[in-house]
Amino acid sequence: MIRITGGKIFDPANGINGQVRDLCIDGGKFVSSVIGGRTIDAAGMIIFPGGVDVHTHVAGGSINFARAMTPEDHRRTTAFIRTQSRRSGLGGMAPTTFATGYLYAGMGWTTVNEAAVPVLSARHTHEEMRDIPILDKTSCVLMANNEIFLDLLEAGEFERAKDVIAWHVWAAKAYGVKAVNPGGVAAWKWGKDAKQLTDPIEGYNSITPGTIIGRLAQIIDELGLPHPMHLHCNNLGAPGNVWTTLETMKLLEGRRAHIAHLQYHAYGGDDWDTMRSASAEVAEYFNTHTNMTTDAGAVLFGDTVTITADGPWQHLLYKLTGRKWGNLDVENETGCGIVPYTYRPSNLVNSIQWAVGLELLLLINDPWRIFLSTDHPNGACFWRYPEIIQLLMSYDFRKDCMTKLSPIARERITLPDIDREYTLYEIATITSAGPARALGLTQKGSLGIGADADVVIYEEEKDIAKMFSHPRYVLKGGEVVIEDGDIRATPEGREFIVKPSFDPEIESFLKPKFEDVYTMSFENYPVEMERLEHADIRECINGQAPSPPRTAEKEPDRADEGVEF
Amino acid sequence: MTCTLGEVKNRADFIVYWGGNPAECHPRHFTKYTLMQKSKFLPRGRKDRTMILVDIRETKSGGAADIFLQIRPGKDFEVLTILRAILKGQHVNSSIVAETGLTLEQMTDFIDRAKKARFGCMFFGMGLSMTRGKHMNSAALLTLAAELNAFTKFVAMPMRGHGNVTGADVIMRWQTGFPFGITFNRGYPRYNPGEFSTVDVLVRGDTDAALILGADPGATMPQPAIDHLARIPTIVLDPKVTHTSRLARVHITTSVAGISAPGTAYRMDEIPLPLKPALKSPYPTDEEVVRRINEAVARKPHWMPADGPMTIMQH
Amino acid sequence: MSPITLTLKERPKVPLEAETVTPDAFVTMSNEQIRSSLVYHGKRHCRLDDFFEVTGEFSDLIEMHGDLHRVKLLGKSMSRGQLKVYGSVGMHLGADMRGGRIEVTGDAGDWIGAEMSNGFIHVHGNAGGQIGAAYRGSLRGMKNGTIIVGGTAGLEVGMRMRRGTIVVGGKVRDFCGLQMKGGTIVLMSGAELRTGAWMVRGTILSLQPLPLMPTFASSGHYNPSFIDLYAQELLPHGISLPNHASAGSWSRHCGDSSIPGKGEILIWNPA
Repeated sequence: MIRITGGKIFDPANGINGQVRDLCIDGGKFVSSVIGGRTIDAAGMIIFPGGVDVHTHVAGGSINFARAMTPEDHRRTTAFIRTQSRRSGLGGMAPTTFATGYLYAGMGWTTVNEAAVPVLSARHTHEEMRDIPILDKTSCVLMANNEIFLDLLEAGEFERAKDVIAWHVWAAKAYGVKAVNPGGVAAWKWGKDAKQLTDPIEGYNSITPGTIIGRLAQIIDELGLPHPMHLHCNNLGAPGNVWTTLETMKLLEGRRAHIAHLQYHAYGGDDWDTMRSASAEVAEYFNTHTNMTTDAGAVLFGDTVTITADGPWQHLLYKLTGRKWGNLDVENETGCGIVPYTYRPSNLVNSIQWAVGLELLLLINDPWRIFLSTDHPNGACFWRYPEIIQLLMSYDFRKDCMTKLSPIARERITLPDIDREYTLYEIATITSAGPARALGLTQKGSLGIGADADVVIYEEEKDIAKMFSHPRYVLKGGEVVIEDGDIRATPEGREFIVKPSFDPEIESFLKPKFEDVYTMSFENYPVEMERLEHADIRECINGQAPSPPRTAEKEPDRADEGVEF
Repeated sequence: MTCTLGEVKNRADFIVYWGGNPAECHPRHFTKYTLMQKSKFLPRGRKDRTMILVDIRETKSGGAADIFLQIRPGKDFEVLTILRAILKGQHVNSSIVAETGLTLEQMTDFIDRAKKARFGCMFFGMGLSMTRGKHMNSAALLTLAAELNAFTKFVAMPMRGHGNVTGADVIMRWQTGFPFGITFNRGYPRYNPGEFSTVDVLVRGDTDAALILGADPGATMPQPAIDHLARIPTIVLDPKVTHTSRLARVHITTSVAGISAPGTAYRMDEIPLPLKPALKSPYPTDEEVVRRINEAVARKPHWMPADGPMTIMQH
Repeated sequence: MSPITLTLKERPKVPLEAETVTPDAFVTMSNEQIRSSLVYHGKRHCRLDDFFEVTGEFSDLIEMHGDLHRVKLLGKSMSRGQLKVYGSVGMHLGADMRGGRIEVTGDAGDWIGAEMSNGFIHVHGNAGGQIGAAYRGSLRGMKNGTIIVGGTAGLEVGMRMRRGTIVVGGKVRDFCGLQMKGGTIVLMSGAELRTGAWMVRGTILSLQPLPLMPTFASSGHYNPSFIDLYAQELLPHGISLPNHASAGSWSRHCGDSSIPGKGEILIWNPA
């Protein structure tokens, strides 16, 4: 039992904006009152619900491949020293599993969504997630380039395709469905790509990326998955791709969708020389279409390693940079590429990318529909989120940073003209309440009675990045895990999964297909329940999509004076 | 640049085995994964694929090959480097080429075929990675595969040895960031193959105890390493008596993974397969023994000073 | 300044990691501080004086005595002063060195001067591999400075080095100058296989015949004047390079064409 007294509460899920209230915790959840137990005096401090990352890559074959490729980074990064209660680990561009838990929790994030899981190696992803302490997890399974699914779409067998998707979600013990460059990854296996929604897909006659996107969104809605289709649009990273992105959004009208890392999909211009920000066009459309949520996929200058299931884009990066390149194709399903990369302010393209991520966060006016992410590790490592929060909350700081950009870069972006500054309430929305809502995790991102007691307590101070990097306390499930910069406890996290309903007969359809294209026996493919530690199965309501994302009400007036940031 | 075996099965129309003898060492490899399979993209199966075997001598695998390239022992690195030069249209010194055992025509033909393939795959075995040049031989092959991607889809994959070598590699990577050659002496992982890799540590006599799990170094390592294992307290966990268990101070008999112990094995392409035990064993699993050793060690005073830092910034 | 002396009294049973032993650190330390400075004996945290007799203080001249072949990381990242070892040393001697001098009368282990950016290292005996090299995964090895080895050396000497000079008196093993990006390696007694493999730029001089990679092309004989400059630079260290036309000429080989690189290997042909 814990009582947290005197703190200023920022709880957008319950419309609380800086009021001083006590929080009571028992059995890992918020309750209305407790008697006895520990009291944490949070007088003058700021209290947020634990952070929720809607899109990150922290576990599985591809991030593990990235770890192997970057020993030079592991040597220069923060090392966590083993104690009797804690495992050792390394931070950096691709942190080890234990360090991933310590680093996320260390800045107040308590739930993450691993955004790309191939079914074939889902068992590996779950084993890694078990080794990420403290955090609760969800995962999205990659389906949009699954050849059995594409063959069914090509044959017009929609109902069976729906059963195939549902079966795979359960087999992978996933929570949602991710679509990466629909049709394009399948084509990449022949060294080709599919960039536009109407492009033919190598190896198929009738279907296009547009067909796949529309059908998959429909299937996910009809299956009633709590998280909508998690879509990595076609034509990622290419100048002029804003048209593909807008076409995709139009196609999705009337459907729920989460558009991942929007920054990489909001470029104008015709080529690398004429590339410019197109965030204004994207934001304008997005603002008036409330069926979608998105995450920023923001970029920060510095070293990182890029890793995505989008093999074609990765190969392009490799050609552009001439650096190390790893590529891993998974049979029948997907592929991934890995390239170490440095974003530089002196580089025009990188400058535009940096600005676009921030512009989208600032121009999309509803904080319930755009969330903080860097598509870790692609745009920057997750442990740099506090820097982005500072950029969002301080126009002056943004202006300082923009002096590093070339005059040409400044002409190609709209960031200098945007003076919006995020409030703490809005930050709490884009880092916690909003992503929890988009994921359909009702007990996350909230400090209300009955919600999971995941809490961050910050000491208010003027240096925003410092404040958000070093919370005074972090509680996960009612347990103090971080206190005064020390890791006090490393409890195991939970995994949320879903079981959409499907016709069990689908297995007799799948089995021979499997034996045809896969190299694993059909029985070994589904991940067993006992592989998951603390699995929590969420409801799906078949045929009934959860309501579209919540949109912003007017922000309630802030209750206190607060520090002038 | 790698892929899962199913990609090879479904798509690879150009397959190279380099320094490996799958017909004898990985007996089901040809039939299950690579050569013999028919697929949507390669409906005629074997007829739709070209297989090249590169080795220093004719093996049983040679019978399955369309082309056998016999190279002189220890010339893998040179051949691979010449292939890279040919790929880039660069000059090579033909008088030295002869030392490799191949002609320039053979190597040019190899590159022509590789470039024309729709999906190429190179498998490499211990004949490449454990001969003179070692990791640089593997690096040469991987670089060639990467560079071929400028022309067509091309991947490469090691043919790993026995046991769950891949699984150890995969788990070490997610827990420590490094696949092998790791020291924890400062309380966090540091990596330097050649310095911290087991065989080098043992040969130099840099360790005063050894715990051996799922391996038989007493049968495979050089004599100075074996001598050192015999000198120091060595503990072996193994279901059976091995060369190493004979020289160890302690041998703990454990159950056999996959037969009487559950778990996960990682295939050579890093695909995890569940091990579903068919039998019960009176012996504990490796995992249980290690867990109990760990618990016993935890009851002793911790070796790191209690007042030390929790994190350090390395430099 | 009188030197600080460290004399080995207790031979480490497992490697001793002693990166604290640098002129930069000791110049600010009293005798007691030096004695109590942290070294790692395997996983144990120990004091330097558990292993060494220590005399002197506040000096950037350090002399060490004893068989230190298990002592690693001596002079790591040092930028000034002098470290002189009467005996042999272990791995990573002068790794990441930025300046100053290191001299070893006996042998040294692998990775000496790895990723160093400046300074001077002279090992009179034999050295291990990866001299002046890049650590695994790094793109660049030594950026400047000079390393001289009187005896033989191991694998991957000068791997990915960018600038600076390495001279080896004895024979060198395989992959000398691997993926070299610049700088100079001088081989007084030649090397085994694959010298200059995958080199991008830089120069390897050999006074003895070498087996060449097939991806190097011969481009004639000459007596270039830059050799005279090298010769002048190396003469004070007791190394003499021939270049007089009456004594012979250098045959030049360019490569590695598999990169394609613009490196050169010069081999001396006595008249």
